[in-house]
Amino acid sequence: MSHNIKILPGATVCEDCTLEGDITIGGGTVIHPRVTIIAEGGPIIIAEYCIIEEYSTIIHKKSDKQESPPKALFIGAHNVFEVGCRLESIFGHIGENNIFECRSFVGVDVRIGSGCVVGAACCLTAQQVLVDNTVIWGSEHHIREALEKQPSQLLQLDFLSKVMPNYHRLRKPNVHKRQPSRQSTEPAK
Amino acid sequence: MAYLVQPDYVKYVCSCGQMKPITNLYFCRHCLKIRCGFCICHEVDSHYCANCLENMPSSEARLKKNRCSSCFDCPSCFHTLSTRATMVQPRQDPASGDAKVENKQPKKMYYLSCFNCRWTSRDVGIPDQPVASGGWPERVNPFANRFAQLMEYYKAIAQQEKQEKLDKERKKFAIRGNYITLTDKTGLTGAMARNRAGMPSSESTSSAIANFVLSQATEEVEELPDDYHSREVNLKMITTMPQRLASPEWQAQQVSRLQPIARPLSVKRSQRCRQCDHNLTKPEYNPGSIKFKIELLAFYHVPEVKIISYETIKPGVTSALLLKLTNPTAHEMQIQLIQPNEVPEIEEKEEPKNIEKSLEKSLNLEKDMSWKSVVERKPTLPSAIKVNNPELTFTLAQRDDAAEYDDDSHHDTNDIILWRKSNKLALRLQLTADENAKVGLPAVAVVALQYTYRNTVPPTSTQPRDHTLYTTVTIDLGIVSQ
Ligand SMILES: [Zn+2]
Ligand SMILES: [Zn+2]
Ligand SMILES: [Zn+2]
Ligand SMILES: [Zn+2]
Repeated sequence: MSHNIKILPGATVCEDCTLEGDITIGGGTVIHPRVTIIAEGGPIIIAEYCIIEEYSTIIHKKSDKQESPPKALFIGAHNVFEVGCRLESIFGHIGENNIFECRSFVGVDVRIGSGCVVGAACCLTAQQVLVDNTVIWGSEHHIREALEKQPSQLLQLDFLSKVMPNYHRLRKPNVHKRQPSRQSTEPAK
Repeated sequence: MAYLVQPDYVKYVCSCGQMKPITNLYFCRHCLKIRCGFCICHEVDSHYCANCLENMPSSEARLKKNRCSSCFDCPSCFHTLSTRATMVQPRQDPASGDAKVENKQPKKMYYLSCFNCRWTSRDVGIPDQPVASGGWPERVNPFANRFAQLMEYYKAIAQQEKQEKLDKERKKFAIRGNYITLTDKTGLTGAMARNRAGMPSSESTSSAIANFVLSQATEEVEELPDDYHSREVNLKMITTMPQRLASPEWQAQQVSRLQPIARPLSVKRSQRCRQCDHNLTKPEYNPGSIKFKIELLAFYHVPEVKIISYETIKPGVTSALLLKLTNPTAHEMQIQLIQPNEVPEIEEKEEPKNIEKSLEKSLNLEKDMSWKSVVERKPTLPSAIKVNNPELTFTLAQRDDAAEYDDDSHHDTNDIILWRKSNKLALRLQLTADENAKVGLPAVAVVALQYTYRNTVPPTSTQPRDHTLYTTVTIDLGIVSQ
């Protein structure tokens, strides 16, 4: 697998994590140690201001109906992946402001909008679409709809990007001066 | 820990006939009997909120409908709501055009939020509050009026019935003795009864009954909307049954009508032996404390039996059972294993009736012992497995927390006593299962202990300090196998 990891300026990416394949990490995003991101079925693009906590796994799985060139998995801004969560979605797009709580699991057949919360230890395997502001919680996977998006984690992000460099080895940003970072991915379609 | 997470393999027979693990039992030091939650008297000591630990007297708790005024539960998932703060830029008031600079200060506003299901008070349009606690809008029960009427009516009826009963009683006693007239003349009894029930005086009762309007059933019911059956249901918009039942006054059908639920109070309770009225447990008043002032648990007074291991039970076969016995008391204990049918029956003796007693009865205060016939029953003990008790009385040393560090030098181990360690010993017993024991049914052995107990209650001159007590234990040994 070719490794092509692009880290944009302003991103905080710990060295002690597994990044495989074609991955782009947007500015302001914080990736904790022990995170696994594997782009085997196509590139993964993580937008700005995401938090990806320890032991979480994001996999862009190889599917049978692989398009060529492979479609990218685009993860929107302000998503939070809490400790130990796992995302295997193959759908091209994950919205913004979602929270994947601790040890949650999102399988390949799940489409996720914006402002959704997948509760701690909730396991979504069946084919489904989470419309915007869906909240799933509890062992019985109760579903409710929140009125507004979850509050942003900007304060936490600010704190993390200040503190992390003091305690962890970081990967250096390797993409410079690419001003309209979003646009460069768009014409590929 | 084993008692919390494992099934109850060893159960003790309570004096009321219930079978419970030793951790669920109490020991009355005055009756010298095992008691359990089923046969003792539970009393509410104090009300407190388990979230903010504020406690309040019962009158205040009743006034607040047993709910905390500052804590709320999530109406969606019933988790406790947390108060969250946000900085809000106050909106510019167009009316007062001049005051610009001062108003630009961001203001702290608070809202309630659930960390479990992420429900917030903003979801249902409750405005943010400028103070961290309190001030949340209260909803009025739409049937509050009717509710009050009903309460008044039934209180009046209860009052009336009480009065009638009292009158009857008084007539009865008027014939028997004359000491009762003293209380009668002072009107003490009636006033007391009213006081105790917290009721108004008798004049208002009759008017309350007379003025009460009964509910009327009607045949005319509002029509259902036309699209009632055809309308598509959005499950995210309607509430679940548990959500509706959590606030019975409103029973909101729409998610958008949910309201924070004032948190129900918890109680600290003390428990009392019904036989002798002594306290078995009494908690400390402070809600933050989990300690007890009185804590007469069986675990501290009755020898503890634990299974070490056992052989599979087969019909007609003798097998071995290893038990561990522990003496939890601060005194040496003599223990002998006996058959359950050898346990002598001890009648709980009734105290002699005297004048004071009948006076109590006239005041309706006499201890009502009718519970006994309802609560108590003889346990049915399985008899398929016979424990071949050794003809041996053994001594268990007192509990000694320092003993752990000693080297035990004397060991009187033999065929029956496997080992000894301070206040514990292990026994090897022989079990004989009945020939006819059904394969596949639970195998339960029953063994009775006769043990000596030194009572440390300050002795009255008539009571001996040392007692011989009995307890029966059932031991779960899996199922009878082939
Ligand atoms: Zn007692
Ligand atoms: Zn009992
Ligand atoms: Zn409270
Ligand atoms: Zn909730």
